[in-house]
Amino acid sequence: MNRLLASACLLPLLAGPVLAQSLTVAVQADVRSINPGVNRDDGTDDFALQMVEGLVGYDEGGTPQPLLAEKVALSADGKTYTFTLRKGVKFHNGAELSSADVLWSWNRYMDAKTEWRCTSDFDGRSGLKVESVEAPDAQTIVMKLDKPNALFLDSLARTDCAMTAILHKDSVKPDGTFDKPIGTGPYKFGEWKRSEYFTMTAFEGYASPKTDGKADGYVGSKRPLLKEVKFLVVKDPATVKAGLTSGALDLSEILPSDVAEIRKLPTLEVVTAATAVRQVLLIQTRDAVMGNQKLRQAIAAALDMDEVVAAASDNLGQTNTSPIHPGSSYFGAVEKQGHKFDPARAKKLLAEAGYKGEKVVILANKRPRVPSFPAAVVVQSMLQAAGINADIEVLDWATQLDRYNKGNYQMQSFSFSARFDPALAFEQFAGPKDKQPRKVWDNPQAQEKIERLMSLSDRAERQKLVDELHKAVIDEVPLIFMFNGVDAIAHSKRITGFKPWQSKLRMWEVTAAK
Amino acid sequence: MLRFALTRVAMALPTLLIVAVSVFVLIRLIPGDPASLMLGDLATPASIADLRARLGLDQSLFVQFGIWFGNLLKGDLGISINTQEPILPLILSRFWISAQIVLIAVFCASLVAVPAGVIAAWKQDSGLDLGLVTVATLLLSIPTFWLGLLLLLFFGLKLGWLPVVGYVSIGDDPWRGVLYLVMPILTLFLHEIGVLLRMARASTLEVLRLDYVTHARAKGLSEMAVLWRHAFKNAFGPTWTLIGLVLGNLLGGIAVVETVFTIPGLGRLLVDAIFARDYPVIQGCMLFVAFTYVLVNVVIDLCYPIFDPRVTAE
Repeated sequence: MNRLLASACLLPLLAGPVLAQSLTVAVQADVRSINPGVNRDDGTDDFALQMVEGLVGYDEGGTPQPLLAEKVALSADGKTYTFTLRKGVKFHNGAELSSADVLWSWNRYMDAKTEWRCTSDFDGRSGLKVESVEAPDAQTIVMKLDKPNALFLDSLARTDCAMTAILHKDSVKPDGTFDKPIGTGPYKFGEWKRSEYFTMTAFEGYASPKTDGKADGYVGSKRPLLKEVKFLVVKDPATVKAGLTSGALDLSEILPSDVAEIRKLPTLEVVTAATAVRQVLLIQTRDAVMGNQKLRQAIAAALDMDEVVAAASDNLGQTNTSPIHPGSSYFGAVEKQGHKFDPARAKKLLAEAGYKGEKVVILANKRPRVPSFPAAVVVQSMLQAAGINADIEVLDWATQLDRYNKGNYQMQSFSFSARFDPALAFEQFAGPKDKQPRKVWDNPQAQEKIERLMSLSDRAERQKLVDELHKAVIDEVPLIFMFNGVDAIAHSKRITGFKPWQSKLRMWEVTAAK
Repeated sequence: MLRFALTRVAMALPTLLIVAVSVFVLIRLIPGDPASLMLGDLATPASIADLRARLGLDQSLFVQFGIWFGNLLKGDLGISINTQEPILPLILSRFWISAQIVLIAVFCASLVAVPAGVIAAWKQDSGLDLGLVTVATLLLSIPTFWLGLLLLLFFGLKLGWLPVVGYVSIGDDPWRGVLYLVMPILTLFLHEIGVLLRMARASTLEVLRLDYVTHARAKGLSEMAVLWRHAFKNAFGPTWTLIGLVLGNLLGGIAVVETVFTIPGLGRLLVDAIFARDYPVIQGCMLFVAFTYVLVNVVIDLCYPIFDPRVTAE
C-alpha cells in the first residue's frame, strides 16, 4: 500500500517537467574569452550575459529597463542619473551587491588597461562623456554626464558592452589579470575547455527581477531552472542536425533551409523569431555608376522584395524596408511604407538615369548562417530582368568587411548587427564618408537630425525625426533594407520555456523533462 | 645515421625560412584585417586604429617580421590575436589530437592496403584484382567529409553505437576518448586504403615483371616466397615513400574531418585562424606543418635501409 502511495506521488513528477536537469546546447563558435565586454563577439556576449548583469538591461522590445537597479531617476537638466540598487542581490560568491561594487566595476572599465570595448563610448571620444560617478550610500549610484544624452541608458545596456556588467572584485586576480566572471546573473561560470565546450551552472542564490515566469529580454523573470548547461562547439550544420536527431544535442540554432525537415521529426521542435539584425543592400553613392540617384531608385523599384525575402530566408523572414526593426516602439505606420515593386517605374527611371548597361557588381559572402549570398542571387536575377547588368562577386567575410570599411564596392549584400534605439540604427550607416569611408549615407541634413535624435528625450519629437529620416532613406536609396534576421532554433521536445530572442540563447525560465 | 638525420634536418632550415617569409608576406597580402574582424560592422576608424596599435599591426611589415622572427629564434611563436593564448602550446595540444587520428588511421590503412595491393598485383586481371581495384577507386573518390557524414549517420544515428558530436580526450577518459576517435579514424582509414592500395598494386606489378622474379620462379620457389621475399621488399619502396607523403600531408590538414566530427585538431585551428586573420596563429601553424612534413620524410628516409639494404644512410 505504501509503495502504491509513493508511486502515485512520484507519477506527476515523472510525467511533468523535472527541474534541475542538464542540457547540451550546440554553438557554432567558441567564446573568445570569459572577460565580459573585453575580447568578445556575439557568442561571447551571449554566454557572459547569462552570468553577469548591469544596472539596466534591454527588455523584449530593446528598451533599456532597470535590472540591478530598482529605479533610475533623471534630473531636470537631463545630466544626472541616480540609480537605486535592488536589495538582496547577491554575487555568485555570496557577497551582497552594493554601490561600492558598481563604483569598482566602473573604474575598472574606464581604466585603459582593462581594454573594455566600450570605454570610448563613455569617456567623451564618441560624444557621450560621464563626468563623475559617486556612491553616496550603499544602495545609490549617481552618474553625471557633461550634457544630456538620450542614449546613455541604451549605451549602458548594450550587449557588446556586456551590459556594463557589475562584477565582484574577486573576478580579478591580485596581479590584476582577469580570473573568471563573478557576477549576479542566474547562472555561474562552470568550466571552459577551449575549442570544445563551456559550461555554466544554476546560481541558487539568484534574485530574479521578477518571478512570474515570463522572459522579457534581459529583464523580467530570469529564474535558473536548469542544473547545468553545456555549450558544445559544433561548426558543421550537418553534424548539428545529426546531433539533434540522435539526442546528443538538446538545442541549437539551425539553418533556415533545415527548418522544414527538422519540423517533421517527432522528437524535435523548431521555433523561429525575427531579430533586429538587418539584411541590406549597400550602395556606394560615390561610385561613378551608383552615384546616380535615379539608377538607385530604379534598382529599388526593380526588386520584388517579398520574393527576395521568401527566397533568401526560406520563407521565414518578413519584408522590412526600414532601418527600424518591427519590434521597436518607433516602428509605426510611416516605417511600414517602403520601396514598392514597380517594373514599369524601374524602366522609366533607368531611362531617365541614362543607364547604358554598365556593370553593377554585388559583393556577397557564403557564411552558412547569413543570407548574404542567396539574397544576392535573387537580387541579381531581378536586376537582370529589369535590364541592369548585375554581377555577383563572392568574397570571404574578412575581405567583404574590409571592402565595407574602405567603402570599396558598388553594391554589397550585407548584414547590420542589431541596434535597438533608432538614433543608433541610423547612425550605424549615416555619416561623412570623408572621415569614415564605411558610412553609406552621407547627407549633412540627415546627420543633423540623427544628432538631435541622440540628445532628444521627448518621445513624440523623436518619432517625428525617425519618420523623416526613414522617408529620406527610402527616397535617396543610399542602401536598401530588405528584411530582419531570423533565429531558427531546434530543440528537444523535452524542453519547455525556451524563447528565441535577438539570437541570444537565454537559458533562464527553461526547464527540461527527464 | 645520426649525422645523416641531422644533415637532413639542417638542409630543411632554408625551406623553413622560405616558408616563414612567404607565409608572413602572403597572409598580409590577402584583404582583411584582424582588428576589423574583431570589432565587426560597428567599428569606427578610431577603434580599429586603437586595436591595431594594441596588436602591433600599425608597425611596418619589416618591424613586425623582425619582432616575430626574433621571437621565433627564441622558440616563441607569439600570442593568438583572437584568444590571447600562447601559440606553441596551443599548436602542440591541437597537433597531439590530430596526430592520434592520423597515425592510427595511416598505420591501419597500411596494414590492410599494402598486402591487399600485393595480392591484387599477384592476381592481376582476376575477379579479386578487379574487386580490390574497384573498392580502392571508390574509397579514393569519396570526399572525406561525405564519407564522414555517412559513417556518422550509420554508426551514430542508425545504430547508435558511437557518439555523434563532441570530443573527449583520451587523457581525461580513455574509454570514451577512444569512442570519440573511432569515426574520424575510420574515415581517414577508408580513404587512405584507396590511396595506398593502388600504389602497392602498381609497384608490385612493376617488380613482378622483372627478370629476377621470373628467375626466382624458375628456381622452383613457392609463390609465397617469390612474393614476400623477393617481390614485396623491392616493391614496398614507392609505397613507403607515399606513406611518408600521406602522413606529412595529413598531419597538417584534416580540417574537414575535424569539422565534421567536432575534433579540436590542428587543421581546424589553422582554418579558423585564416578566417579570423589571426596572423601569428597562421604563421605558427604553417611553420609547424612544414617542419612536421620535413621531419616525417627524414624518418621515412632513415627507414629505407630496413626494406632495401642497397640503400644506406651514407
